[in-house]
Amino acid sequence: MARSNSNSAEELPGPLEGLRVVEIGDLGEVAGKLLADAGADVIRVEPPGGGRSRHVGPFANDDPGQPSLLHASRNTSKRAVTLDVTQPDGLEIWKRLVGRVDAVIDATTPTFLDELGGGWEWVESQPESGDCVWCSITPFGRSGPRRDWAANDLVQLALGGPMMSNGYDDHDLPPIRPEGEHSIAVSNEYAVSGMLAALWMRNAGHSGQLVDVSMHEAVSATTEGAFPNWEYFGRLVQRQTGRHAAPDPTAAWQYLAADGQHVCLINGGLPRGGAAWSGLLDWMDEHDAAADLRDTQYQELLFSDPRANPKGRRHVADTIGDFVQSRPAEEVYRRSQSLHFAWGIVRRPEQNLDDPHWEDRGFFWEGELPGVDGSVRYPGAPYRFTRSPVRLRRRPPLLGEHNHEVYVRELGLTSEELRGLLESGVV
Amino acid sequence: MSDAPLPLDGIRVTDFSWIVAGPQATRILADLGADVVKVENESYLDSMRIGLRQDPKNPSLNRSGFHSNLSRNKRGITANLFHPKGREAVERLLAVSDVVIENYSAGAFARMGFSWERLQEINPSLIYVSVSGFGHVGRDASYTTWGPSAQAISGATAMSGLADQPPAGWGFSYLDHSAGYYAAIAALMALHHRARTGEAQHVDMSQIECGMVVSAVPMLDYQINGRSYERVGNRSRYPAAAPHNTYPCAGDDRWIAIAVDDEAQWAALCDELRLDNMRDDPRFADMASRKENEDALDEAIGAVTCERDPFDLMIELQAHGVPAGVCQRTDDKQERDPQLADRGFYPTAPHEELGEHRYEGLPMQFSKARWRMDRGAPLLGEHNHAVLTELLGYSDEEFASMLAELAI
Repeated sequence: MARSNSNSAEELPGPLEGLRVVEIGDLGEVAGKLLADAGADVIRVEPPGGGRSRHVGPFANDDPGQPSLLHASRNTSKRAVTLDVTQPDGLEIWKRLVGRVDAVIDATTPTFLDELGGGWEWVESQPESGDCVWCSITPFGRSGPRRDWAANDLVQLALGGPMMSNGYDDHDLPPIRPEGEHSIAVSNEYAVSGMLAALWMRNAGHSGQLVDVSMHEAVSATTEGAFPNWEYFGRLVQRQTGRHAAPDPTAAWQYLAADGQHVCLINGGLPRGGAAWSGLLDWMDEHDAAADLRDTQYQELLFSDPRANPKGRRHVADTIGDFVQSRPAEEVYRRSQSLHFAWGIVRRPEQNLDDPHWEDRGFFWEGELPGVDGSVRYPGAPYRFTRSPVRLRRRPPLLGEHNHEVYVRELGLTSEELRGLLESGVV
Repeated sequence: MSDAPLPLDGIRVTDFSWIVAGPQATRILADLGADVVKVENESYLDSMRIGLRQDPKNPSLNRSGFHSNLSRNKRGITANLFHPKGREAVERLLAVSDVVIENYSAGAFARMGFSWERLQEINPSLIYVSVSGFGHVGRDASYTTWGPSAQAISGATAMSGLADQPPAGWGFSYLDHSAGYYAAIAALMALHHRARTGEAQHVDMSQIECGMVVSAVPMLDYQINGRSYERVGNRSRYPAAAPHNTYPCAGDDRWIAIAVDDEAQWAALCDELRLDNMRDDPRFADMASRKENEDALDEAIGAVTCERDPFDLMIELQAHGVPAGVCQRTDDKQERDPQLADRGFYPTAPHEELGEHRYEGLPMQFSKARWRMDRGAPLLGEHNHAVLTELLGYSDEEFASMLAELAI
């Protein structure tokens, strides 16, 4: 087990200590990780050849024989077993695993486990299993005319709407899908809320139940202004480079700074208060870049009705834009923040590894990864629990690493029985 | 399921959230049945009330559909924190709440008089979830973000766009939404912890960290393989699959996403697009060669799809097992998506000033419970009387004098 540091927080239980979960399928790994990092005992059940993420790169040392970094990013703190649930012996073991947990994350297909006789329908028919929460995560949900359609992340972000809001001013360029499998992220985030709500209800004396999460709906719920613009105004938003899609074009927010890195100026860089405005002009003056902005007409227009004098506002935005292009991005970011502008720097993901703010927060979790010398800094959780830390409890498990622990020590199989299952390909 | 129970029935949330990230969190809790009481007044108004108002000339603060979608199912009160009686009303509300959520800049809630220490004095079992750009701890905690700057800093913006173009960004404040999703999770986890141990706690959330967790793979790749992140547009680097892109279709700014994962899907795609010559072309013979010749591949496919209706093509490809999806506009989703319609994803609800409108649903269905879509966002101060008299124990006379003294 990976141990990062030895402070006392390391020993404190997480907020979900005591919760027992099994996870199966390829679309629910993030949900399982969120629960496991929070202290739940999550066992990921994979086919003997391994789940999808183990076979997707990049791999440690760019060697496909070594751990997948996609898998590593989604499976911290879990245990892992192998099991072929399509074989009768495998199905029996699956049922025993299900019988001892509080919750199941079933991210296979809407019908796969029910057709085998080991799905929610089977659980519901077992009086003693009635307090299990069964969370199904599928591309389109368990009902509806497109239930069985095929989709990956690109198709999800197309159908759900985010792509049509995201891209470039030039509409000859396509709508863009941000990388990171966000359809898995948002659906799994919703799934965890649904599961925890259903478990809350169960703990209050109700029975367990099915929670049927649709990825298409989770993505469709994540488009912000596109929905009210259509619902209330009958208007469609148009994608724009580096800023919000809008029914009518808006001023640029994103500029290339002098060192080749982009910066993001909220609201076209326009300030929201007099102190910020004055500080910005002082900064621009240091580089003889304030041009005519000290003219009082600009201060007046900035703090009056935003619809008045669009030409003047555009001039201010353009002058600020010219200025930030003459400065290095890190200066634009730090200096503007010190003046209380909420501007940002467009960082590549790895640039955050060196920002000491995240060290201050303990965002990165030090741990092992098999095949890698020394320790790895795993991106952690977006929340700091002050009494029950969410943290790395184990490094990502190897394929079948906990077969003996789970099947023999916990389910009570003999070592001979496990060996037989291994030989027959059930495990 | 209209008489099925609400999962979070009995949970009460004091809601000091505004804009999008905080309201998104309390929306989820309210949809799931928590009694969310939103607290505002002119000095800390949820500024979404003036975003996308139906009629900009009408000064009412109750006419934003954007706000209504984010704050539906909540109750709303006003409280003047500069008036001792207004402050007392808020403290009484906190005393009977399970959770308080706010998403002001770090430190602002403490300056309003509600530090974690003070919250514990008011109610030792109260869970406190704060959502800010950089979190409350760390050397840059005083910095602030909006969704787009948080996305920029986190790496999520850099991961969006074509290889030979600037970052495309996100087109909306994605991290306001995912910060809200994570804040709802944090509140629920903290409730489970309190139920088991009796302990309440402060959960300190950072919006930027919500973007960093989805940028995890490039961060590991850099540490372990020394590789800097480079954009790939809509193509697939991992796994190395092709075709995997968006292709133009007939119509104005119409596009279809097609993602081929194996040889059977490739064969089906060639059949549907009548690309017989490509099937036999050695440049496209298998996944590795298609990936190698991806520019030519994408160009050839786009030359054919641009003649096709995107929806007809999607339905044909799906009928043959090829993952394909139109880049849907919101009118496609709301008016023409049979799956969303069948699942009841856009329920309607009334609102006194906005009238009957559709709302975005919660993307899940419970077999023995329900989520609700009862009503739009509260009017400013709509539930002052109900909350103060029924929940907080004020008499009608006390309520009247608080109104007269502008305490609420």
